[in-house]
Amino acid sequence: MNAVIEDSNIVVETHDLTRKFGKFVAVDKLNIAVKRGEIFGFLGANGAGKTTAIRMLCGLLEPTSGTGTVAGFDIVKQAERIKSRIGYMSQKFSLYNDLKVEENLEFYGGVYGLDSRALKQHIHETLERMNLQHVRTKMTAELPLGWKQKLALGAALMHNPDIIFLDEATGGVDPVARRDFWDMIHDLAAHGKTIFVTTHYMDEAEYCHKISIMHQSRVLIQGKVGDLKVQTGMKTVEELFKHVVTQGDSA
Amino acid sequence: MSVIRHFVKKEFRQVFRDKQMLRMLLIVPIVQLIVLGNAINLDVKHVRLAIFDHDHSEVSRDLLSRFRSSDYFDIILADQSKLSALMDRGKIDISVVIPEGFARDLGSGSTAKAQLIVDAQNSNLAGIATGYVNGVFGSFQEDFRNRMLEKNPDIKSKIHSVEVVSRVFYNPEMNTYFATIPGIAVLLLTIITTLINALNIVREKEIGTLEQLMVTPISKFQFVMGKSLPFAILGYIELAIALAVGMLWFKIPFAGSFLLLAFSAALFLMTTLGAGLLVSTVAQTQQQALFTAWFFLVFCIIMSGFLTPIENMPTALQYLTYLDPLRYMIKVTRGIFLKGSTFFDLKYELAAMAIYGTAMFALAIFRFRKSTT
Amino acid sequence: MRLRAIILKEFLHIFRDSRTLFLVLLMPVFMIFLYGWAVNLDAKNIQIAVADLDQSPASRYFIDKFAQSKYFQVTQYVTQPDEFEDLFRRYEVRAGITVPADFGKSIGNEFATSVQLIVDGYDGNTAQTVLNYARAIVAQYNTELLPQGFEAPIEVIPRFLYNPSLESGNFIVPGLAAVILMMISALLTSVSIVREKETGTLEQILVTPVHVIETIVGKVIPYVFLAFMDGMLTIGIGVLVFDVQFEGAAWVLLTNTLVYLYSALALGLLISTLASTQQAAMATALMLTLLPSIMLSGFMFPIAGMPLILQVITRLIPATYFLEIIRGVLLKGTGYAELYHNTLILFGIGTLFLLLAIRKFKVRLG
Ligand SMILES: Nc1ncnc2c1ncn2[C@@H]1O[C@H](COP(=O)(O)OP(=O)(O)OP(=O)(O)O)[C@@H](O)[C@H]1O
Ligand SMILES: [Mg+2]
Repeated sequence: MNAVIEDSNIVVETHDLTRKFGKFVAVDKLNIAVKRGEIFGFLGANGAGKTTAIRMLCGLLEPTSGTGTVAGFDIVKQAERIKSRIGYMSQKFSLYNDLKVEENLEFYGGVYGLDSRALKQHIHETLERMNLQHVRTKMTAELPLGWKQKLALGAALMHNPDIIFLDEATGGVDPVARRDFWDMIHDLAAHGKTIFVTTHYMDEAEYCHKISIMHQSRVLIQGKVGDLKVQTGMKTVEELFKHVVTQGDSA
Repeated sequence: MSVIRHFVKKEFRQVFRDKQMLRMLLIVPIVQLIVLGNAINLDVKHVRLAIFDHDHSEVSRDLLSRFRSSDYFDIILADQSKLSALMDRGKIDISVVIPEGFARDLGSGSTAKAQLIVDAQNSNLAGIATGYVNGVFGSFQEDFRNRMLEKNPDIKSKIHSVEVVSRVFYNPEMNTYFATIPGIAVLLLTIITTLINALNIVREKEIGTLEQLMVTPISKFQFVMGKSLPFAILGYIELAIALAVGMLWFKIPFAGSFLLLAFSAALFLMTTLGAGLLVSTVAQTQQQALFTAWFFLVFCIIMSGFLTPIENMPTALQYLTYLDPLRYMIKVTRGIFLKGSTFFDLKYELAAMAIYGTAMFALAIFRFRKSTT
Repeated sequence: MRLRAIILKEFLHIFRDSRTLFLVLLMPVFMIFLYGWAVNLDAKNIQIAVADLDQSPASRYFIDKFAQSKYFQVTQYVTQPDEFEDLFRRYEVRAGITVPADFGKSIGNEFATSVQLIVDGYDGNTAQTVLNYARAIVAQYNTELLPQGFEAPIEVIPRFLYNPSLESGNFIVPGLAAVILMMISALLTSVSIVREKETGTLEQILVTPVHVIETIVGKVIPYVFLAFMDGMLTIGIGVLVFDVQFEGAAWVLLTNTLVYLYSALALGLLISTLASTQQAAMATALMLTLLPSIMLSGFMFPIAGMPLILQVITRLIPATYFLEIIRGVLLKGTGYAELYHNTLILFGIGTLFLLLAIRKFKVRLG
């Protein structure tokens, strides 16, 4: 599993990335490699360590040991340079509820350093793409959850990042909206963006190019979705997941 | 620069949308200044005094009428047997007992004695009230001597005495609120700016929006400035309100330079906002932030000389007051406001504030972490 | 049993957040030591400047009277009285005395000499003190100049009740206990309830069949406990470290403290129904409890000196009544015979707050 091939196309890569909270190991020796344009799915039960791993990759949390690079930059020493290249949507809704929809976009665009012309244009485009024009001047607090998630995704994309981390982006979102979400994700990937997603919906996992199944802070299995199914003889990712996790538990 | 501008815009939008908070920030200080300016009144006037005259002489009646005509006392009529109960219940502050034979002793050259019973719970008040009583006795004594001397003109011509001609600068009526209003203004400024900065950031931590910010490429400096500038502006608004209340409501003349005061405020705000930021780096919840900031604030307030003149403190503590940024700002504000002190008059205080402000701000930026370890 | 569950949960909250617990217990200690040491209301060593234009033995003798008094300290000698104002603007002295050039010569030649005293009046209270002390020193000096038989000596023998040692601490510490009790209890309750409102957990509790009263009582009891410990800590340190007198009965103080806490917590509850965010709760609590308790209760500033309208307001503040109680018990040794009406009023104010809070609470639910 340690044999990760050096490849110029690889945009996210880790070597034995580990994070402990006190004695508790939340992420244990994570090794992954994600290529440009890939949709990488991170699966795992609650508390498996997905969010912790993503936060390390985004430079929000320092690893206890191990190394990693994102967009070619070291996640410890060059965390700040990574930040202008990535978009992040956290598991918990974290835009400002007491700002209007467009004000949230304006603020994040501004923080990413867009000049006022670009800012105006990006806000317009984002509202259009996310289908939020009609609630432009609404208070964010008043939006239904699914729309809030769309707004959060829009805000994460304002600065046109190369790599996008979506931590349970579709949690609590209705099926139609989820469908829209995934259309957008595929569209982004087709444009060369790399998408890193975590999800508890196994049907979503089917859309991923590669998946990695985490359990109790370790990766049990990872690879192309098709390859893994063949390897284990499972028909769906859901079966695959249950199979791997029960095996992991008994091991 | 534009990043900071967006920050300022965002904070202002949030502040102005939160009407409850806005009321707190703008109206409450006015109310507090007016209430506290009136409440902190150390001019001891209505001392409740009971007099028991056992002498019933012309002399004692003269004394009595002097007490009655003094502005400082409210005379309480009481039965001496109830005195101790009345004092226990706090109905009488001080009582004077003129014993039988007072006039006789005074005339004969032996010491005339009077007894004073003072409710001394508040030693300061007790001291001042005792001073007033002594003052009445003193002027009575002086007149008594003069009457004696009038009868002996040959001796009178040889007598010399010193009289005090006094002039009180800046505040001829010695109103307490001249000092307390600028003091409270600075106090409010300190409390509001320290707390608001700390609570605001910790609140973003609590609700998770801080994490979203930390994943952007914004620099520590931009973040700190973006958070502090809006509250610095708010601080200036508070200060302006306080000045207006002081000048218009309390009619305290502003003697110095507004520009110098604004400059001093900038130095001071760096300290308080920096302190708020520092608190936010150690607190996880708003409650913790409040209580942590509290320690800083209590230290600042007590050691500032606002409640008690610094020279009354034990020497060791007096040195400790040099660590208190509020000490300088209160001096500077009172100096500029009341005395028209200039930059050169206040150079040491301003230098101390500049050092404090820079250090605090730099420490806050240094301590602030975009990632958790 | 449901009540027990809520109390238990609240205690868990408190003890899990060990940092807050630590701060809450450390705060009174910190405050009392700072206050106890630093706050000394009795002026002494007031720094003054002297312009001795005479430079004669007589003038030096006169100035010595000031220098030797414990109230004054001559720190600057200037040649011109107009230098005083410079010194004032730099805060170097509080007053300046000018002894005129003919001071020595005029003794024995003229009836009176004027000595000028210029006072920095910015701090009215200290200025007043300076004037009083200076006049007393000069009066003493004048008495010395009187010929035998004309002194007409009067001795005023003071007896200082309740605080014979005239220690500021005896006055400050009981007041501080009142402030701390009020602050901790009202602030903690209001903030912790509003926090549950903000995070939505209060809703969770309210959908359970728990009665509103149970919820409230359950939330409040742990804070009674904490605040009570804080109060005892304050008084304990006051008595043991700062030698504060304790003349009365402990049980009178304890029972009254509980009644006071009842009113403080009721106020905290009321605040929690008014505020929708923690920040608003904190600001309101500080506004409604801390500042009035410090400034309007008679803690440091005598109520008698306030304008009438404020005197009326002080009667609405629980701390005003508790201060009278605690000072009565500690300093005067009074008991229920003298204090019962204060206890009753405190109880009444508390009940009023509580009823208002419950009404507000119900309205919000309905
Ligand atoms: N700051 C922290 N301190 C202590 N423990 C933590 C911290 N953050 C996360 N953990 C623990 O690390 C483990 C992994 O958490 P993480 O949030 O990464 O899981 P997850 O896979 O994202 O789960 P979920 O699907 O529920 O989001 C959990 O047991 C969690 O309690
Ligand atoms: Mg997670």
